[in-house]
Amino acid sequence: MREIQPEELVADLHEALRRWLPEQRWFGQKGRGVDEIRTVRAATVIDGEPALVHALVEVSGGDVYQLMIGVREHLSDVLGHAAIGRSGELYAYDAPHDPELMGRLLDLVVAGEDRAGLLFRTEPDAEVEPGMRARPVGVEQSNTSVIYGQDYILKLYRRASVGNSRDLELHRALRAAGSVHIANPLGAVHGSLTGRSVVLAFLQRFLSDGVEGWATATASVRDLLAEGDLHADEVGGDFAGEAARLGTAVAEVHADLASVLGSEQVGVEQIAAEVDAMHARLDAVLAEVPELREHAEVLRMAFDEVRSIEEPVVVQQVHGDLHLGQVMRSTMGWVLIDFEGEPAASPQQRLLPRSPLRDVAGMLRSFDYAAFHLLAGAEEDRQLLTRATEWSDRNRSAFCEGYAKVAGDPRDQYRLLRAFELDKAVYEVAYEHHNRPDWLPIPLVAIRRESFRVA
Amino acid sequence: MTEPLGEPRPDAALGLAGVPHTGEAFTEDGHLIEPQAGDFRHARAAQPDPAWYQTAVFYEVLVRAFNDSNNDGTGDLRGLADKLDYLDWLGIDCLWLPPFYASPLRDGGYDISDFRAVLPEFGDVDDFVYLLDQAHRRGIRVITDLVLNHTSDAHPWFQESRNHPGGPYGGYYVWADHDTGYPKARIIFVDTESSNWTYDPVRGQFYWHRFFSHQPDLNYENPDVQEAMLDVLRFWLDLGIDGFRLDAVPYLFEAEGTNCENLPRTHEFLKRCRKVVDDEYPGRVLLAEANQWPADVVEYFGDPGSGGDECHMAFHFPLMPRIFMAVRRESRFPISEILAQTPQIPSHCQWGIFLRNHDELTLEMVTDEERDYMYAEYAKDPRMKANIGIRRRLAPLLDNDRNQQELFTALLLSLPGSPVLYYGDEIGMGDNIWLGDRDGVRTPMQWTPDRNAGFSRCDPGRLYLPVIMDPVYGFQALNVEAHSNNGSSLLHWTRRMLQVRREHAAFGLGDFTELGSSNPSVLAYLRRWVDPSTGDEDLVVCVNNLSRFPQPVELDLSDQTGRIPVELTGGVGFPPIGELPYLLTLPGHGFYWFQITNQGEEGEVR
Repeated sequence: MREIQPEELVADLHEALRRWLPEQRWFGQKGRGVDEIRTVRAATVIDGEPALVHALVEVSGGDVYQLMIGVREHLSDVLGHAAIGRSGELYAYDAPHDPELMGRLLDLVVAGEDRAGLLFRTEPDAEVEPGMRARPVGVEQSNTSVIYGQDYILKLYRRASVGNSRDLELHRALRAAGSVHIANPLGAVHGSLTGRSVVLAFLQRFLSDGVEGWATATASVRDLLAEGDLHADEVGGDFAGEAARLGTAVAEVHADLASVLGSEQVGVEQIAAEVDAMHARLDAVLAEVPELREHAEVLRMAFDEVRSIEEPVVVQQVHGDLHLGQVMRSTMGWVLIDFEGEPAASPQQRLLPRSPLRDVAGMLRSFDYAAFHLLAGAEEDRQLLTRATEWSDRNRSAFCEGYAKVAGDPRDQYRLLRAFELDKAVYEVAYEHHNRPDWLPIPLVAIRRESFRVA
Repeated sequence: MTEPLGEPRPDAALGLAGVPHTGEAFTEDGHLIEPQAGDFRHARAAQPDPAWYQTAVFYEVLVRAFNDSNNDGTGDLRGLADKLDYLDWLGIDCLWLPPFYASPLRDGGYDISDFRAVLPEFGDVDDFVYLLDQAHRRGIRVITDLVLNHTSDAHPWFQESRNHPGGPYGGYYVWADHDTGYPKARIIFVDTESSNWTYDPVRGQFYWHRFFSHQPDLNYENPDVQEAMLDVLRFWLDLGIDGFRLDAVPYLFEAEGTNCENLPRTHEFLKRCRKVVDDEYPGRVLLAEANQWPADVVEYFGDPGSGGDECHMAFHFPLMPRIFMAVRRESRFPISEILAQTPQIPSHCQWGIFLRNHDELTLEMVTDEERDYMYAEYAKDPRMKANIGIRRRLAPLLDNDRNQQELFTALLLSLPGSPVLYYGDEIGMGDNIWLGDRDGVRTPMQWTPDRNAGFSRCDPGRLYLPVIMDPVYGFQALNVEAHSNNGSSLLHWTRRMLQVRREHAAFGLGDFTELGSSNPSVLAYLRRWVDPSTGDEDLVVCVNNLSRFPQPVELDLSDQTGRIPVELTGGVGFPPIGELPYLLTLPGHGFYWFQITNQGEEGEVR
């Protein structure tokens, strides 16, 4: 029986990884090649046939990625698509695709093992069954997930960062508050990076009956657009009831986070700094996207109005990246997932308390996207645009009404909410400009609509 | 005391002269003489099968509306008996007849003035026995409604009670000198009644009534009333009837300081009823009508430890509007939620589920949270609001869309519970909204394109209600004969689905497990039953597209890896289930029923 030398194995794979990494959906530096790879650490978690090697690699630019590398002497057809490369006689592949190795990974968590410098732990009150059948799930933006039976989901973070700990910590806080709007945390795999503890994988209750909010919302929009002559409140697929319940769920999560982790009032200087940051982000996007220039003045007016807010502004821990893709409709109601924080922010920024209106603004923007994305790239149809606008207005209002059942109505703080929404829309303009030019009108139209109200 | 009473006899006024009825004479101690089962022929017994109701398909038919044998414009029991071959061909297991007792018909026959006589326009007890006998000959059972809670004020018991407070019937009803008792009991018909007490000038006291003031509540505190009602059960069970739907069961007893609903003594009496059935008439069923939330209705099944010792069946009321809501929303959650909130029921019990019948969903009985949910979803939507009160037939509710009618029927036949079809829905009959309130869905059954839709040979003006004549649902085009001659009709389709359902015990007896998927518009579930005598597994997967648009769905069937889904209506084998999620595509409002089979030798599926 051969013994794997993990450092050597990963070193052998550097060349293959330079090609393989940029092909992965979760790879952050899209469009850029990988010049150099450095092994931060590599260790054998499971030895034998197959073996599992855990590695952290740093690519040029400084980002650190987590790899779970399966190692076999023979690679079956089923795993062929997951191949990374070879090290001598051995085949290396992306281990999350291997039910056998992933099953054993769960058993390590259940057993509370320490292996290869990694700590496998269950949450104190969690009961997790070992020996569950594992299956990988579809492509995800920044993680790779494995589902066990119908019960658990293990999220392997691909980026090793302190933001991952935030996901676990906020789930723990919400669990402590008895929130029904989360997938309960069950366990985690902890490691260390540059001397600091990081969460590398997170085990949660799997919502086998859950559906992404985006899918439920767009089913409603599709229904409306097919109707043509009916208004958003008349069609069978009306979503306002769901939108209101979602608003209530988000408000309850905010209240629970504040009660467990606290909240604070921010001073004038902090508000000024926040406004300056909005202007700075706008400057950067204006330089790239000429279509935004006609709105620059109104955007700046809307941002500056925040400076004159007299009522207190409260900040706390929030979701940080809330949109319809981050909520699941389950049979028992709405659930918020992925509390890693804002992807664009640095790990340190993610940990800072923020206004809950940031989450509200994110969700309101998401309703706008849901309403208009089916029309993106198509010839302009006034009838359909009117209907989509109605849907967006109706469900944004319903969301706020639902939110107001628990906390204050977000629309009462309209200047702050509007600035957050516009700040988000500016970010979207840059994103669509680079990635989906057909969708660029979605945020631009929203900015234009808002600018009439500001002006 | 045998002399006639001083006032006109109510029974004579109800046309019972010449047929046996309650109160033709009195015994020496002042009791009314009532007809006995021994006075009549008895129907042959149905095939013994103690669990028949768990797999049966029920068919609600109004005697008045089905077939008129004597051409007086009103359907009757003999007419219904003449159509049993049709129901047998369709594949019905049990008829549910709303009340056909003697009645002044001020509440659709639920105001019974003689528990032991048939409404004369429907025939007489002998005609009922004939119907029952003919049904049993074909393997069809018959149940009917029985109102335990109250009688008509025309019932001789009430007349005796008000006229002779000191007589044997003086304590049959709930009398009081004041109208202040039981203030916590809500008034059910707030539109017509201002109090649950009404003053009777004859007796000079108030009497208690939970429903209309012409329907006084029986006094179940009186042991004689309990015995008398058990004897009513025995009367019909002796004739051969297969069971009762017990109407308005939550209200039998009253107690100060309570809302007078679902009291423990009400359950005690139901246990007594059940014991009579079990001891004296095994194989007959009791079905509770309790329009409540499933978690509360389960109380009426009784003790789970014994498999249930009250009613064998109860209606699952909230499921029906949820099905409509789910298809309208193109979202499975309205159905998923209500099934997730439905508790397990005792092993020998069964839900009754329906798409249409004459009962309405009332929002009074549900929790505040659920009421908010229902209002939030319904009240904002004028078309849904109209559906809360069930005033329309299935086909018009679904805009006469064949695909949706099939989807709804497929859901009804595959969700947990015994399905109850409503007469005429198998041919997609329409309604007549101009007839108002409930009559719109009670028009004559459409048999042929002939005079009066083949329902009656009478002068059309004499019909109890006009037949449907509009261009879409009119009887000239839409009738049983036309559907029978067209192999692709809804009628043939429905019959085929009932056949398929009968071949799979999993539909009636099986566990229900919802299969989640990432598509909110697709409702998929497993029905699984293992035959305890053979150990054979019957595993059926049902996949329903609630959207009008075609949809893909990926189902996690990894527990069944290597097995083969065989579509049930055509027997076509689908690709084997592999490690990956099982991909299906469904047309708009489409559905599939699969049996999960093991592959036999040489590729044969078995």
